[in-house]
Amino acid sequence: MANITKKVSWSSRTDEFGQAGEGTPLLNGSEQPRPSRQLSGRGSLFQIGRLSTVDLEEEITSDEDSLRGRPKEIPHNEKLLSLKYESLDYDNIENQLFLEEERRMSYMGFRCLEISRWVICGLIGLLTGLIACFIDIGVEQLARIKFHVVKENIEKFTEVGGLSISLILWAVLNSAIVMMGAIIVAFFEPIAAGSGIPQIKCFLNGVKIPRVVRLKTLVVKVCGVICSVVGGLAVGKEGPMIHSGAVVAAGVSQGRSTSLKRDFKIFEYFRRDTEKRDFVSAGAAAGVSAAFGAPVGGVLFSLEEGASFWNQMLTWRIFFASMISTFTLNFFLSIYHNNPGDLSNPGLINFGRFEGDSVTYNLYEIPLFIAMGAIGGLLGALFNVLNYWLTIFRIRYVHRPCLQVMEAMLVAAVTATVSFTMIYFSNDCQPLGPDHTEEYPLQLFCADGEYNSMATTFFNLPERSVRSLFHNQPGTYNPLTLGLFTLTYFFLACWTYGLAVSAGVFIPSLLIGAAWGRLCGIMLATITSNGSIWADPGKYALIGAAAQLGGIVRMTLSLTVIMVEATGNVTYGLPIMLVLMTAKIVGDYFEEGLYDIHIKLQSVPFLHWEAPATSHWLMAREVMSSPVTCLNRIEKVGTIVDILSNTSTNHNGFPVVVQVSDNDEPAKLCGLILRSQLIVLLKHKVFVELARSRLTHRKLQLKDFRDAYPRFPPIQSIHVSQDERECMMDLTEFMNPTPYTVPQETSLPRVFKLFRALGLRHLVVVDDVNRVVGLVTRKDLARYHLGKHGLEELQLAQT
Amino acid sequence: MSSHKYSFCIFLVISIYAVVCIDAVNLTASELPDKLKTVPSLNAASDSPSSVVFKPAVDSLLPLTLLSSFPEDLEISEYCSEVLHVFGQRYVDYVKCLVPAARPVKVCQNCFSSYGKLVEIYTNISNQVGPGNESCGESLLHSDRLMLVYLLYSNLEDVWSKAACERCLTKGSQSLTNDTLYFMATLNHTQRCFDTYKEGNHTELCKNCKSTYKGLNELYSQMEKNLTLCIDIEDAMNMTRKLWSKNFNCSFPREETVPVIAVSSFMLFLPIIFYLSSFLHSEQKKRKLIHPKRARSYNSLMNIQDKLS
Repeated sequence: MANITKKVSWSSRTDEFGQAGEGTPLLNGSEQPRPSRQLSGRGSLFQIGRLSTVDLEEEITSDEDSLRGRPKEIPHNEKLLSLKYESLDYDNIENQLFLEEERRMSYMGFRCLEISRWVICGLIGLLTGLIACFIDIGVEQLARIKFHVVKENIEKFTEVGGLSISLILWAVLNSAIVMMGAIIVAFFEPIAAGSGIPQIKCFLNGVKIPRVVRLKTLVVKVCGVICSVVGGLAVGKEGPMIHSGAVVAAGVSQGRSTSLKRDFKIFEYFRRDTEKRDFVSAGAAAGVSAAFGAPVGGVLFSLEEGASFWNQMLTWRIFFASMISTFTLNFFLSIYHNNPGDLSNPGLINFGRFEGDSVTYNLYEIPLFIAMGAIGGLLGALFNVLNYWLTIFRIRYVHRPCLQVMEAMLVAAVTATVSFTMIYFSNDCQPLGPDHTEEYPLQLFCADGEYNSMATTFFNLPERSVRSLFHNQPGTYNPLTLGLFTLTYFFLACWTYGLAVSAGVFIPSLLIGAAWGRLCGIMLATITSNGSIWADPGKYALIGAAAQLGGIVRMTLSLTVIMVEATGNVTYGLPIMLVLMTAKIVGDYFEEGLYDIHIKLQSVPFLHWEAPATSHWLMAREVMSSPVTCLNRIEKVGTIVDILSNTSTNHNGFPVVVQVSDNDEPAKLCGLILRSQLIVLLKHKVFVELARSRLTHRKLQLKDFRDAYPRFPPIQSIHVSQDERECMMDLTEFMNPTPYTVPQETSLPRVFKLFRALGLRHLVVVDDVNRVVGLVTRKDLARYHLGKHGLEELQLAQT
Repeated sequence: MSSHKYSFCIFLVISIYAVVCIDAVNLTASELPDKLKTVPSLNAASDSPSSVVFKPAVDSLLPLTLLSSFPEDLEISEYCSEVLHVFGQRYVDYVKCLVPAARPVKVCQNCFSSYGKLVEIYTNISNQVGPGNESCGESLLHSDRLMLVYLLYSNLEDVWSKAACERCLTKGSQSLTNDTLYFMATLNHTQRCFDTYKEGNHTELCKNCKSTYKGLNELYSQMEKNLTLCIDIEDAMNMTRKLWSKNFNCSFPREETVPVIAVSSFMLFLPIIFYLSSFLHSEQKKRKLIHPKRARSYNSLMNIQDKLS
């Protein structure tokens, strides 16, 4: 085979094929143009879910569209599923190679694997803690410089006049810092925008978000979050920690970095999606634990958000990673704060200790807490609705990177302006405390020895503001200040989330909630008026913060535990739980949680816990894609290459059948093979003819598949000569011989449950004699959802 | 018997309390040790009638002489009672000094010498061994539940440390530090300036005393950084600042409202322009719909319609 003369590049083949396939832009699609009878049948079938909602004329027009094969273009909306998202392969492929490897592995080998899992979890915790430490110190140092510059400037100009110059200086400084953060995000790694929690949720759900767990993303994320927090945006650094932890986990567990082109030749066994997912959930937990000092909360976060695949040992390992991460952060921060060895400073955000008599609560306060939970739910729903419309606008109109950078800069400038104006016109002056709890007190027009109370909330890092709202003495803030602050910060935070900067929404929510919660506390104290201290403003600030956060993100169990752990007071468990429950119930009545909204707007095929409620009448037959592109057990290389390089089909799994019949009759199933496997096989030229001719034939091992993971080369990069196209490929050894199958009459919830519980990627639908009639994938299931008018169907779109 | 006993106790406590209260200011030195001795024993008796040791004390009509009936080794020695006496004297001196210095606060300046003496005698009690190799620390400080001497002393020590007087005093609390003296001098200077211009228009005052006041402020913040502030200085500075800002109204006025509003409304206007222009000029992002392929089962459509209806 050395003297092959004619090499064919596959781009030309695809063109040819594209012409052949023109007029049938089929997702699953296929070798021959379909008869028209089938097309019309399919066209009307496509509308099944919408029969109840769409009137007849519209149906006909869309039917005609599809008949002409002209792709219809619509503005982006939430009812789409994007084609760019693939599933992860959580199902173990038990092919012969796998069995062989298992047979070869000794008892000690398995023990070593178990130990290396623990080692990896420890490393994940360590690195996540270090990253958290880096972010914390970076933010603090840079923010100190910024605040000092602005403060000196303001002090100077208060005296001689010209405060508008200070305003401009502050705005320009903020925009400049945010600009750096936005540029790296918008131009280098757009996936690093936002908090990253939706993306990690999707990853753990089984959706492969491109580039989400790469080293580059991590770097951009960390730098971006420092820039956006220092730039004074209404954001926090906690959400991005979860993403960072996940990236660390995905990187460490693979023992190599594709970006750096370094392979440490360790942990090779873990180079597949199933193992990686476990580590990523550990990483997410470590991130939560570093962010809030809440190891248990981290574990529960992973449990709640991610893994439907859970066992005792995994939980224990994840807990280990979380603990290590908190410990690491603690340890290094104690060194930074010059009291090495003091380990009682957990978490990036420290709510401080709630201790003493004033923070106890009584039975009669429970209804008040629940009422505050309801307020939190309402405000959260409002926040989410506003952010939803804003995000749609952004996706439709602000999609160019330079526009995104400009937008972020504008938000930063306006945030500074609004803050300055609020501080400037505030008349709330408070005497300086003896122990200087205010880090950057601004005097402005206050009497000497007093500071501007508004400035402690606006002219400060958001975490500090949260803490001072929780812990400052009653009487530190007057109600007007708090009211104005809540109002402005609410809109600023809502406007900020979704910008092309990496930033979290936890802290702004907490801050809004703490402000109005404290306001509630002050009001209660004035209503009762007998000067009793049961309505301690700090306590109500905490409850308000919990309510607001719960109303926005709608997490339940994990958020309760996170809040309890962050306050370090278990007795608050009950009120926080009640508040979060109320907030979720009230909020869900109006709008989904913020993360779910963003997942939806990203058109991700996300599988929720349950199938839509009224979907039992739908059967696998209606859900599945059909007909399926099948491969023979011994298939011609040319056919495989053609199928893989067909651009109109981006199918990833191919049922292997005994013999594909010519007249498109279903054939008997004998296995399932993935695109990635086929590409590796083509790359290594595992052809039947070659195996015969070559005497010293090295057998392909599982290692070869792992080496290519996770970035399998595209089919265009693999060159197959004309001669080789005539060769045959034996798939028996490599295919998964026992794929999951369901009969055609299986109901949608049943299919859904199988999919969700087993983390499947492909589910073959067979008839009564085990012949392949269809294939169910994630997108086929995710498109059904329960809307206002019953069951609705999402549309597939190219994004 | 028992009712008599209790009523007597109450009477006794009240009377003793009254005596202590009346005499609190001008206790004579001879009275104090006796009182100090009697109070614990009476309290113990009324609190715990079951206590065997003090039972006889209740029955007796002469409680003040009672203690002499204890065996030798339970009583405090001559030396210790002498020391206690001195402690009482110095305690009174110190309190006498503290109270008038409460407002305006001059605690550190006025009372450091009497505090020094009190500390000295207390250290004597707790550490020093007297003649006959006996230590009063045990018998005076820790022999009962109340530990009155310790309690009294630690209260005053608290006051002292809260006032942070140590920072204004030289080592060993001999005298005020030079920093403090210098600050006092500057403060006096400023106050003289205030006095000169107090009459009439305050703008005059604000103008003329500004440099001295500013100097004082700077000195204060310098000392704040060096941690050489005690309550006297802080209070004096506080009062001066209050005079300056509230009485004389010399704080900075809010004068530039117009430019600030102008600049901020310009800033707030920018995003509106940005969003409008991107709405009008930016091309709306469209999504290409893709029609998935579904089964061509002939009867399924009918089935579904049946089910729906």
